Amino acid sequence: MISGSFLDRSLKFDWLFILLVLALMGCGITLVYSATVFEEVKLVDAFWFKQIVYFLCGILMAGALVFVRIDWLKRAAVPLYAVSLVLLVVVLFFAGDVVKGAGRWIDLGIFKLQPSEFAKIAYLLTISYWLSKHPVSLYKVKSFAVPFALFIVPFALVLKQPDLSTALVFIAVTMVSFFFAGLTFADVFLIVSPVLSVLFSHSQSVQFEVLWGLLICAVVFTLVRRKLPKVLTGIFLLANILAGYASSMAWNMLEPHQQKRVNTFLDPMSDPLGDGYQVLQSMTAIGSGGVAGKGFGNGTQTNLAFLPEEHTDFIFSVLGEQFGFVGCAVVLVLYALFLWRATAICKRSADPFVTLMVMGASTIFLFHILVNIAMTIGLMPVTGLPLPFLSYGGSFALTCMVLVGFLLCLRYQGSRR
Amino acid sequence: MYNSTSENEVLQNRNLHVLIYMAGVVVLFSVLLYRLFSLQYTHYDENLQRSDNNRIRKVELVAERGFIYDRNGEVLVRNRPSYQIALQAVQLPRKKDLRDSVRDRLLRIRDNSGERLFDSLSLDTAFLRSRWIKTRPIRLLEDASPEQVAVIEEHSSELPGVVTLIESRREYPYGTLASHVLGYTNEISEDQLKLPEYADYSQGDRIGQKGLEQSYDKEFRGKNGMKLVEVNASGREVGLVSSGGELAPVPGLHLVSTLDLRLQRVAEEAIPDSAKGALVALDPRNGEILAMVSSPRLDPNIFSLKRRERNKGWAQVALDSMRPLTNRAISGTYPPASVFKLVTAGAGLENGVLSENKYYPKNCTGGYQYGARFQKCWGTHGALNVVHAIRLSCDVFFYQAGLEIDMERINEFGRRFGYGEKLLGVDIPGEKAGWLPDSASFNVRNKRAGWRWARGLILNLAIGQGQIVTPLQQAVFVGSLATGKGVYRPHFMKELRDEKGDVVRSFEPEIIRPGNMKPYTHRILMNAMDSVVNHPGGTGKRGAIPGIRVGAKTGSGEWKKGEKTHAWYAAVAPLDNPEIAVAVIMEAAGGGGSVSGPIAKKVMSAYFENKKLDEGIVEEK
Repeated sequence: MISGSFLDRSLKFDWLFILLVLALMGCGITLVYSATVFEEVKLVDAFWFKQIVYFLCGILMAGALVFVRIDWLKRAAVPLYAVSLVLLVVVLFFAGDVVKGAGRWIDLGIFKLQPSEFAKIAYLLTISYWLSKHPVSLYKVKSFAVPFALFIVPFALVLKQPDLSTALVFIAVTMVSFFFAGLTFADVFLIVSPVLSVLFSHSQSVQFEVLWGLLICAVVFTLVRRKLPKVLTGIFLLANILAGYASSMAWNMLEPHQQKRVNTFLDPMSDPLGDGYQVLQSMTAIGSGGVAGKGFGNGTQTNLAFLPEEHTDFIFSVLGEQFGFVGCAVVLVLYALFLWRATAICKRSADPFVTLMVMGASTIFLFHILVNIAMTIGLMPVTGLPLPFLSYGGSFALTCMVLVGFLLCLRYQGSRR
Repeated sequence: MYNSTSENEVLQNRNLHVLIYMAGVVVLFSVLLYRLFSLQYTHYDENLQRSDNNRIRKVELVAERGFIYDRNGEVLVRNRPSYQIALQAVQLPRKKDLRDSVRDRLLRIRDNSGERLFDSLSLDTAFLRSRWIKTRPIRLLEDASPEQVAVIEEHSSELPGVVTLIESRREYPYGTLASHVLGYTNEISEDQLKLPEYADYSQGDRIGQKGLEQSYDKEFRGKNGMKLVEVNASGREVGLVSSGGELAPVPGLHLVSTLDLRLQRVAEEAIPDSAKGALVALDPRNGEILAMVSSPRLDPNIFSLKRRERNKGWAQVALDSMRPLTNRAISGTYPPASVFKLVTAGAGLENGVLSENKYYPKNCTGGYQYGARFQKCWGTHGALNVVHAIRLSCDVFFYQAGLEIDMERINEFGRRFGYGEKLLGVDIPGEKAGWLPDSASFNVRNKRAGWRWARGLILNLAIGQGQIVTPLQQAVFVGSLATGKGVYRPHFMKELRDEKGDVVRSFEPEIIRPGNMKPYTHRILMNAMDSVVNHPGGTGKRGAIPGIRVGAKTGSGEWKKGEKTHAWYAAVAPLDNPEIAVAVIMEAAGGGGSVSGPIAKKVMSAYFENKKLDEGIVEEK
């Protein structure tokens, strides 16, 4: 091959992928504009204008990352991880701004640093680096020691902030990384099964009892087929049965007001004055959009400020109201294509590090997309996770673009030879 | 590279995992799409209707602020309704020309006397702010009269976005009465909002400032509630959201104060508003303050008026050279004057320096030669023992006594009864500390001026010139001296009651200083205070009440050459079983016995008359 020719180099980029990112950014700016245009302010203070600036910064960053060699990424992983832990500890003690009752920022004067965003990236690099060298297996329980240690420290620190939703991102990334570092689908199922047991046995209806029974059968079947060490087999069985029975017992031991708090979290509509208010308004906004939507700038719910935080966490309701089912479907398809092009990158390289990085980054995107949209349509608890490329916000826009930069870099550098 | 089979297997396995992953994505996205379809297609009609016709809005229900009562249940502070005409931004037309026409119509509205209700400047500001502030109403007219409200309501159909709100405002039915004790409420200031102790307050909240309104603000506030209401397209409320849509507010607690309205009234009438002065009347047996006056006064009602009048009233009191904002009874610092001779005498008796039969070698010949200096007395009193020296308030006797006892012992005795640098801890803000100088503290305090302690200073200090006390300290002192059973923390809060009238909290009397002395000291001092009032030659005979054994001490504090003295009078009655202690100061008014004595007498006689009246009622029952 003639290295250096334009055609050759341009083949190393996935132009469809780049186009998808730009299209999603365009949607984001349009929605932020329509959600906040009625606040008549100077151009430089307008949310949509600031969002463009953030995206431009992000594009520059992603562009620079393309030319970073994969070796350098591997070498930077551990130092970055150490720095991120220090920052997480610092933010616990010197919380700068209190946003929604939680101190998550370090004010550096020029800009505000959100250590948990930084930690997501650093953790992704580190866990990918470690697992690419040391695959895990349920037959070798010791192989989980280091990855688990790497996971639990930032997880606990983020949980302490308290930032439950970001902490859940860490879990998602860890599970997917294990899946691509040696575990089979059945293994992942076994690890997740106790959580499913809790969910199924929590609501004590007959259907769920049956579901739980089926789940236990599936667990037993998998255990028999997998022929895991005896101790592990025992642990998984016991965990499932305990999770099923103990959870309902523990539930009954809770005080009524504690039960209410859990219920409100799981089902916001049971508290229409608190979290349920936002969800109710958001569902009304989306539902009133219909199939075709009310048209750009015609969202009565959003424009009448019934919806709080419409330009950040609830941007999807702006989309749903103004562009209807068609608009939502188009954006979901864009997201799906984006994830498809992203995951396809790992097929071009045999390096497990590339696979793990690609799948981890995709998972960060996927988790945000799912949790945010499910929240706006009342399928999930209200958490503070923004929607990639669509929500307003500088920190998260930069995180997304760094991840996009990684993906471009892994494709460009990974397919060098 | 792709030649090894095991590696090939690994890669195939990986590709399979990616496929499973993407299948998961498709499944999960399908769930989202299905839900969106159900919301936007299946349930489209009801959602559209809800969004068009039934807009749901959160409305805060403000808790009623607690009242203040006197000790007999008379209302001292209550609430009144106040109408606000405001702009509800979300109900305003969104098109600019329609918005402007609302503005123009508002501008044209006149009341019955032909006056315009709104001026164009404030309207422009409000309409400008309505672009920003969407969630809360923007006030156009504060504390509107019923007539103004009627005019607006008449035109309400032409004025979308203009609403009338009812607020609760503080009302002080007795105007200036006890204004310094009660305090007032005002909108929370920007500076206060930044402080951590006001974390759960928000902009626009009315908050107690000064007095009881400030100290018990958290108790008065209660807890605001909330409700979800459905409003129609033009923004009028059409109903409550049915399920769980209301969180009732918890009204604030009512405060039953220790004040006695009847006594407070007598005290207020006794001190004219043109004079500068203060009065404290308290029960020395438990520290309950029965009346407190500081003159000149202010009317706390001005803070409930509309902004323009409020600002005018505020400017008036803030700029007044008489300083009506200061509560002189707790923040006024004065020399204790001759009232302090009781302390000097007490310290002498307690330490065995003085006794009933002790006479000093130098008689009062109108003054006392100390070194090269001749310290004057206000009269010529001859040979005196301690009782007569107090009765006549002779300076020469106390010059010699002071030199012999020394300041450390005098101050120690004074601190037992509440004098000194430690606050008494009364439950309204603004209390100032006193000061009892001795050689060390004098030097520290006057270091910059370059003054050094000299023994000659004792002469002045022994007769109460040079110390700093507050009127409250004087009342506490004279009361606890008479009881001899300890100093109780002076306070205004008797009980806090909830809206049903049940007592939630009551004040526990608390001894804050020992207030102890030998029985001999107590007997001599009581004899002396008795003779001040009831002896024909006593300086405080104008404070005498027939049938009641009053004890007192007068004082005439010098504060500026050539000016009249501050008139002090500290009294307690009945001497055998003290129930009420009164301290009065009239600034620059003359002699204590002649000016302040009659004022204290009025308050005390009223107290005993009321008591007789109350007992009569009890007997009848």
